[in-house]
Amino acid sequence: MRKSEPRKARNTRKKNIRASLSCISCLSWLLLLSVGSLAAAEDKPTFESHVLPILKAKCLSCHSGEQPKAGLDLSTRRSVMLGGKSGGAVRRAAAESSLLWERIAAGEMPPKGTKLTAEEKGIIRAWINDGAVGEGGDDDLAHGAAGREIGEEARGFWSFKTPLRSTLPTVDATQLVRNPIDTFILHKLAASQLTLSPEADRRTLIRRAYFDLLGIPPAPEAVDEFCADGRPAAYERLIDQLLASPAYGERWARHWLDVAGYADSAGILSEDRFLPLAYRYRDYVIRAFNNDKPYDRFLLEQIAGDELVDYWQHYENDDALSDEIIEAITATGYLRCAPDSSRPDFSTIKNADSQYFYPTINDTMQIVATSVMGITLQCARCHDHMFDPIPQEDFYRVQAIFMGAFRPTSWVPQMERRLTTLSKSQFEFATQRNKEVEENVKKLAADATALREKYKQRRFAGQLAKLPEEIREAVRIALLTSADKRDEAQRTLAEQHAPSVQPDDKQLDELLPKEYPDYQESRTKLNDQIAAEQARRHYYDEIRAVYDLPGEASTPFLRRGDALTPGHAVGPGTLTVLEQEIPFQWQPPPAEAKTSGRRLAFARWLTDSRHPLTARVMVNRLWRHHFGEGIVSTPGDFGRAGSAPSHPELLDWLAVELVDSGWSIKHLHRMVLNSATYRQSSGLNKGSGPIDAKHPMGRSGQLDLTPFSSRDPENRLLSRQRLRRLEAEAIRDSVLSVAGTLRSQMYGTTIGLHVWPDGEVTVHDSLDHYRRSIYLQYLRLRPVTMLNVFDQPVIEINCTVRSRSTVSTQALTLLNSKMMTAAADAFAGRVLSEDAEDAATQAVRLAFGRVPAPDELQSLNEFLDSQQQLHAKSLVEPAALDEARRRAVADLCHMLLSANEFLYVD
Amino acid sequence: MNKSRYFPCGTSRREFVWEMGAGFTGLALSSLLASEGFFQRVANAGEATAAPPLAPKPPHFTSKAKSCIFLMMNGAPSQVDTFDYKPELEKYAGRQLPPDKQYINSGGRKVGYLTPAWRKFLPGGESGLMISDYFPNVRKHADKLAVINSCHTDSHAHGSALVAMNTGKTFIGRPSLGAWSVYGLGTENQSLPGYVVMLDKRGGPISGQPNWSSGFMPSTYSGTLFRPFGDPILDLRGPARITRQVQREQLDLLAALNQRHLDARPGGAELASRIDSYELAYRMQTEAPETVDIAEETQQTLDMYGVGQQPTDEYGRNCLVARRLVERGVRFVQLYSGGGHLEETWDAHESIEKNHGRHGAEVDQPIAALLTDLEQRGLLESTLVVWGGEFGRMPFSEGQNAPGRNHNPYGFSMWFAGGGVKGGIRYGETDEFGFEAVTNKVHLHDVHATILHLLGLDHEALTYFHQGREESLTDVGGRVVREVIA
Repeated sequence: MRKSEPRKARNTRKKNIRASLSCISCLSWLLLLSVGSLAAAEDKPTFESHVLPILKAKCLSCHSGEQPKAGLDLSTRRSVMLGGKSGGAVRRAAAESSLLWERIAAGEMPPKGTKLTAEEKGIIRAWINDGAVGEGGDDDLAHGAAGREIGEEARGFWSFKTPLRSTLPTVDATQLVRNPIDTFILHKLAASQLTLSPEADRRTLIRRAYFDLLGIPPAPEAVDEFCADGRPAAYERLIDQLLASPAYGERWARHWLDVAGYADSAGILSEDRFLPLAYRYRDYVIRAFNNDKPYDRFLLEQIAGDELVDYWQHYENDDALSDEIIEAITATGYLRCAPDSSRPDFSTIKNADSQYFYPTINDTMQIVATSVMGITLQCARCHDHMFDPIPQEDFYRVQAIFMGAFRPTSWVPQMERRLTTLSKSQFEFATQRNKEVEENVKKLAADATALREKYKQRRFAGQLAKLPEEIREAVRIALLTSADKRDEAQRTLAEQHAPSVQPDDKQLDELLPKEYPDYQESRTKLNDQIAAEQARRHYYDEIRAVYDLPGEASTPFLRRGDALTPGHAVGPGTLTVLEQEIPFQWQPPPAEAKTSGRRLAFARWLTDSRHPLTARVMVNRLWRHHFGEGIVSTPGDFGRAGSAPSHPELLDWLAVELVDSGWSIKHLHRMVLNSATYRQSSGLNKGSGPIDAKHPMGRSGQLDLTPFSSRDPENRLLSRQRLRRLEAEAIRDSVLSVAGTLRSQMYGTTIGLHVWPDGEVTVHDSLDHYRRSIYLQYLRLRPVTMLNVFDQPVIEINCTVRSRSTVSTQALTLLNSKMMTAAADAFAGRVLSEDAEDAATQAVRLAFGRVPAPDELQSLNEFLDSQQQLHAKSLVEPAALDEARRRAVADLCHMLLSANEFLYVD
Repeated sequence: MNKSRYFPCGTSRREFVWEMGAGFTGLALSSLLASEGFFQRVANAGEATAAPPLAPKPPHFTSKAKSCIFLMMNGAPSQVDTFDYKPELEKYAGRQLPPDKQYINSGGRKVGYLTPAWRKFLPGGESGLMISDYFPNVRKHADKLAVINSCHTDSHAHGSALVAMNTGKTFIGRPSLGAWSVYGLGTENQSLPGYVVMLDKRGGPISGQPNWSSGFMPSTYSGTLFRPFGDPILDLRGPARITRQVQREQLDLLAALNQRHLDARPGGAELASRIDSYELAYRMQTEAPETVDIAEETQQTLDMYGVGQQPTDEYGRNCLVARRLVERGVRFVQLYSGGGHLEETWDAHESIEKNHGRHGAEVDQPIAALLTDLEQRGLLESTLVVWGGEFGRMPFSEGQNAPGRNHNPYGFSMWFAGGGVKGGIRYGETDEFGFEAVTNKVHLHDVHATILHLLGLDHEALTYFHQGREESLTDVGGRVVREVIA
């Protein structure tokens, strides 16, 4: 029997590993490093030779046979690995968290009889930590999982059935109907003796549409123009105009980036590495929305852009890649949004696959499932889904889709996982050329060094010659002796003469060109040659993309979701419950294929016009952003634990409409925004019962529910529009817009941030950086304070619904932050330059898009006057009056930007 | 035994219902869950109510502790040099850990020899708890302490272990212990944040903001960074030219604008609470600086905390401010000792004596003063004080005669005091070397469950519905260590 590993061997191994680890000792987040991982395979204890004899002697009397204790049969490696009633007994290479080891180590097992000796314990621990191998390999673990039967009733759940366009319900109030949306809404309202509110006034409508579609307020001129437009269809034209604005893409891309879990940093590790290329995907999303890219195409590109356009074929054969191909591979950045902190040195980490690589795949799957499919697939990772008919097997079938690209066993570190914008011929040419350049530059640089050395020697001799002859030789020897070997006299000589005879290299570089014109000439020539050589270098762009790796991808079913307890292999597939309706069609590709086609097959399945989830989920998301609440109020969960749709027929009708329109998102916007439902006022209907206007909620904090609203207290039926607070980015963008400092420059690398000593994270204070918030760096560990305070999510995986808080730190931010005070000053400057005479009116027009009421104007002017006097006291003549006025206006502007009328959309 | 360590998700009560055969048919399941109040809680999770979100809420059961002060020793103090007395180490000095003791040697540092405590241990109080000379003043309070010697955690790297100690998991994105506390209990003083975090002047924990984040819960519950002097909160004051009077006028104008806006929108509960939030913010501008203004404390108190003396001034101030915060009804306060990297924290790779000597001297007197002060004011019963780092340190050196110790997640010590905790007791044990917890092991989930319990919260019932799952601080693990509760 094998003895416990000799200490000497162990120590040697430790030493080797220590050496290999020293390069990553800075990696403070490494979770599991161990001495065992690099052991040669033949050293490893095996179950049959080393472990079984111990188990036979001490354990099998209880743990074997027909009815082993606790369901745990220890007689074969397979049965050990499968575990018992308490779950898996062994986690590969992780003895410390393996039940078998835990119970033995604690002396709890065996409960009676002879305990294991320290040596025997050592063997079991070593066996587990060395991978729990058996002599028969892993084949004996393959077994099919008995999936839970999916019943008819589960299959019949509403969100798993293809949506159908139901016939429009009849309504009495036909005069209120602008389009089919209204019929569905009115029908339900009527059943509760409710109806739509009157249409909002034009000022309200244009602000609502601007904020919803662009995320910034309309200029006063646009408001005036719209209010004065007496022609028919003025509103519909406005909507068309807004949908055509490039700012639309910047607004709506942000919604998508939330659900995609986009961030500009890799996450997990404390270093939270910045991802300089991530922005290309962000730009792709903006362009997609602006171009109204059909939603099915949008998904196909994001999940399988490379396969969709046959990237490899073009890469191999084209002279250059077309924009379409580059766009398609850029789109796959969607599948790169999940946190992935992997680096090349992770290959030295023990169990890195379960610690780092699997989580990235799992998070990617969670993003796809919650953003596009509206299901909580992640719940089925460790066990069959608790609420929805998703057997655990399905999770691994979907995982197999992504295993073509993401292989825990041969992981590509995140920074190396990228494609270039070049074709193969271009790439080879560029590589060849750059290699040449490198070599030539190296040669020229060597020439330059040699040249310098030559003149250095020449100068040294020249300077020495200037010294009196009697000390010349002594100085020469002193200077050529290395500093630590000089004797006392030499030190003195060196100190005295080094500055003139042997200046340091930096000084030499200044002296040589001056003293030796021929050196200068040759040197310039060499420099020019180097520059010319460098200019021949080929630069090209890189893209954080997803692409399949060579070779066959195998996907193990993981018992209890644990990568350390793998089971049988699973092939690619989707949700069993849906495949009856929408079959998943995939053929294994020929062996020489560069890509498996798994993701494309999945994306085609997902975008099948009959798919029960895809269109519904997107319709619901869009609805949510126009009404503040989805038809399904859990946009990431359309399953049984999610909420039921408030208007199922409407949801289905719109889903079919989306598909029938060629998956046009802008078409859907038009449908929604042109409906009477969207256009109604957000105020409570007149005559809706007694409300104490002064204290609508009472100071007790209890909402006074009126008889009217008690019929639909949460306004689920939409008898009025919902009042909505702007999201973080819309607040910042609107503040900058009103202050007149917002720059409309689109796209490109991210805008850097500044972290102050007090922890505040701000945008670098430069006008260049006053761009829309979507262009700011989005770092997982360092959120922009102002945006974070207003509920911009810290991206862990993704965010399907932002929380919406009302806290006093938001008030502090608005009142006191550097950003807001600067914006108030800029806003005041703008107001004074546009209408110094009637500053209050102009400020209100800019901030609220309306003119103040007479009594309101009066109090605003009173405020300006008194505030001016207040400031004047602290200022010195002669500029005092103007400055006091300017400050008073800034005070006013500041409050307008902090007002509820500014932060909320009616 | 803690199941959650074996299985990423594990068996929760609902899953158990499932296993019993509810199957995919759903109907029975829904009604079972409904009777558990499951859907109701789902519905409540995201609801905006008119009451302020941090209004005090009743605990799940009566408890003594109303507030918690968490003294976070960032960088991980060594257990065998502080609160885990291992005289056997003298015997083993110069030898290596036996071969069956396997471990992850963090960062691939040198593995040296077993090394006894660098300072001597002495019994404290009537209980005679053994505490080392790095904490001579805390030792005088031995009879108040419940020392847990058998803590263990899931990571041996600072960043992730800190996040774990604060949020229960080694990855970012989950709500912190303080966030769960104010989510469950609200806070007593609406003019101050309910959850305050004070960092060491040398810097924050390396994994940053996620350590006091509200994770997937609304930011309402996240920790507010408090600086011990000057303006304690970010953006508490605007530029100098905005005097208090200027701002009062501004706020009156704002209130008028908002009231006008609200009058036209009756029933706008959220609008009304935002109006309130400005008044709260205004009050906070007075109250928060007043809270950190320790000028009104007696010289005797200042001296007791070591304020104005080195090296105790900074942590002394923080401890004193912490007392002032809980006095004013703040629910959860966390004070970091150590910030930035390596020796600026308790991360004593180079030398235990140098490092712990330095940091111990900074915090020992202030912590002792805090315990005395809380007791004198009758606040100790209602204030739970927790002391600990993100993990512990190895009982062996980092090379022959090397004076430092490497990271050790397998066994470390924490202590509780006040807030309904038994005093003068020791719970759990590490092995004879002080290397790994072996008896009555306490996982960090158990630490969290116990803290919540002492605050009157049931860690299994305190849940938040997120992405299809009811999340909790302790996930499916966590055992209340009842043995330390009085």
